[in-house]
Amino acid sequence: MSAKRERPHGRREIGREEISGWFDGEKGLIDKNIYVDPDIYELELDRLFGRAWNFMCHETHIPAVGDYFITYIGEDQVIAVRDESGIVQVLLNTCTHRGNMLCRAEMGNAKSFHCTYHGWNFGLDGKLLAVPGGANFYRGKLDMEEWSLQKAAKVEHYKGFYFATLDPDAPSLHDYLGEVGRIGIDQMAVHGELVAVDGVQKNVIDCNWKIAVDNLYDWYHVNFSHRSAIRVGFVGSSVMQPMQQMVMLGEYGHAIGGPGISEEQQAELDKLGDEERARLDRMSFEERAKLAPRISERRPIRPKHMKEVMGPVGVRAMGHPNIFPNLWVSTRALQLSLRLPRGPLQTEVWWFTFLPKNYTAEQRRTAMKYMTHSFGPAGLLEQDDGENWTYSTKAALGRVARRRPQNLQMGLGEDEVREDPSGQMSIETRVNEHAQRWHYRCWSDWLRAESWDELKRSKSRVPTGRI
Amino acid sequence: MSAARAERGATFGRLPPHEQMVLHYQVEQFLYHEADLLDRRRYREWLELVAEDVHYWMPIRRTVTLREIDREFTRVGDMAYYDDNYSDLRLRVEKLYTGSSWSEDPPSRTRHFVTNVQVTDLEGDLVSVRSAIQLYRSRMEDVSESFCGRREDRLRRHGEGFRLVQRHIYLDHTVIHATNLSSLF
Repeated sequence: MSAKRERPHGRREIGREEISGWFDGEKGLIDKNIYVDPDIYELELDRLFGRAWNFMCHETHIPAVGDYFITYIGEDQVIAVRDESGIVQVLLNTCTHRGNMLCRAEMGNAKSFHCTYHGWNFGLDGKLLAVPGGANFYRGKLDMEEWSLQKAAKVEHYKGFYFATLDPDAPSLHDYLGEVGRIGIDQMAVHGELVAVDGVQKNVIDCNWKIAVDNLYDWYHVNFSHRSAIRVGFVGSSVMQPMQQMVMLGEYGHAIGGPGISEEQQAELDKLGDEERARLDRMSFEERAKLAPRISERRPIRPKHMKEVMGPVGVRAMGHPNIFPNLWVSTRALQLSLRLPRGPLQTEVWWFTFLPKNYTAEQRRTAMKYMTHSFGPAGLLEQDDGENWTYSTKAALGRVARRRPQNLQMGLGEDEVREDPSGQMSIETRVNEHAQRWHYRCWSDWLRAESWDELKRSKSRVPTGRI
Repeated sequence: MSAARAERGATFGRLPPHEQMVLHYQVEQFLYHEADLLDRRRYREWLELVAEDVHYWMPIRRTVTLREIDREFTRVGDMAYYDDNYSDLRLRVEKLYTGSSWSEDPPSRTRHFVTNVQVTDLEGDLVSVRSAIQLYRSRMEDVSESFCGRREDRLRRHGEGFRLVQRHIYLDHTVIHATNLSSLF
């Protein structure tokens, strides 16, 4: 396999004015340079990944004391580990002595972490416990407190999904997610108690991470990119590109984009109890269309109480949430796809899979069959995505091609942001690029701001009215 | 019984050497033939060599310590890259002929190297075979990828030849350094 990695180099000064020129929200244009410029990438690592709440893992990935899972914040490798008091710690996976990778297995259970270089030993909470020759070679003068592992500034979870930030000035996870980010994760919570399925699919695609991310909002590509999967009958065309679309935008860049359930369809659903909903949810599309033609064909049908949790608008959003910057709550909401930056020209895609604890063996088989065959590198859908992202990224390496901006103009200025009496806001329309534009607009806010304080003050407000 | 004989399965090991050699030869020829069909993009002909009760599976491999080496691969029923029955494989094959299977159109140039072939068991008409595989894939003008792994196959006798009943592929990689897995192994 080719493990080539383009490494960023150099560092030029990038001013606010330059950043403001990368995305033109009024015209729907993107400077292609943002996908390939190593200096812009460095800025992203500092101001975006270094500041944001990054997804670590689910509580069931590391249920027992000493269970650990290796993941990343930007390009910083971290250990998410459950310490002796049961608290999830997020530790930089680098020995404080010479920087060697401390924990070399990607998952497992440990009593403590030993560096393989000189044997420095760290506790599950990151404390430096012992160094060989501490008394003899260091003459007892090594400050064990000072040379403990660096920890994430904050670690918090929402409904069992753990996130960490390296920036102590970050708001709480709850406030960071805001209503739209929380609804995004609630899409998974709809299924009840979840358990992580063993195995995270991982593959590396030669594309910029932002293209992989904005594609999750893109309901325009499905009928063309995934035409072969539709042609052989793996998925239906109407399911892949429903005309009824709904977008919710959230502060800091979270959004949900894709299919929605209309108010009329929701009113029909509201009449049903949970048992009836579960029964319809288990049926094939054809059966359901015959028996309950007024019920939306979107899955899963959410239980009654989720209207309270997600709100009257949120409960109708069946599209794809992205937890800014790079966590996609995927179709049917039993998988999470994390898009990790690996230099400007590479992205590592991770797929986490979950199943409701109360699923029967049959339900488990059906769900697993759909998930193993849709996504991941061998997925009948996903296998046709990667090269589109690769060559969209690489076009920007051409000096002439780079001068012409990318077009993100679909639906620009054509729609209204509606505010529900509950205060929840949505755009209900046909296939569009509102969420992509929001993603890049907020991305610019993050890069312009020099601190969390500035970002809190200067972040884009969720738009109202014409959009 | 020698350790080598035990390892190769009691039944197979009890065959006289010349019968072992004949079976081994037939199995090898089958593996070379189906690899050749894949490399020559004759996917439908390849599918004809697959039994309708096939299990085609590639688990996820992880870097784990030797102490926890039993967790190196995911298990059947947990997450995998491939977990296919016959109709899933047929979907994959038919997809390749749609004219819009972009990950393979223009098609990859593949070469399957099958080596270290060992018959490990013989049970009625079922032959268990372990082999090492390297799949080289070249695409477009700039893609050059190589996958290595071990295959645990089961072949069922079918007339003069065999049908593939099980293909379990244990890759030697944890992170897949490739845009996708759109090839058959």
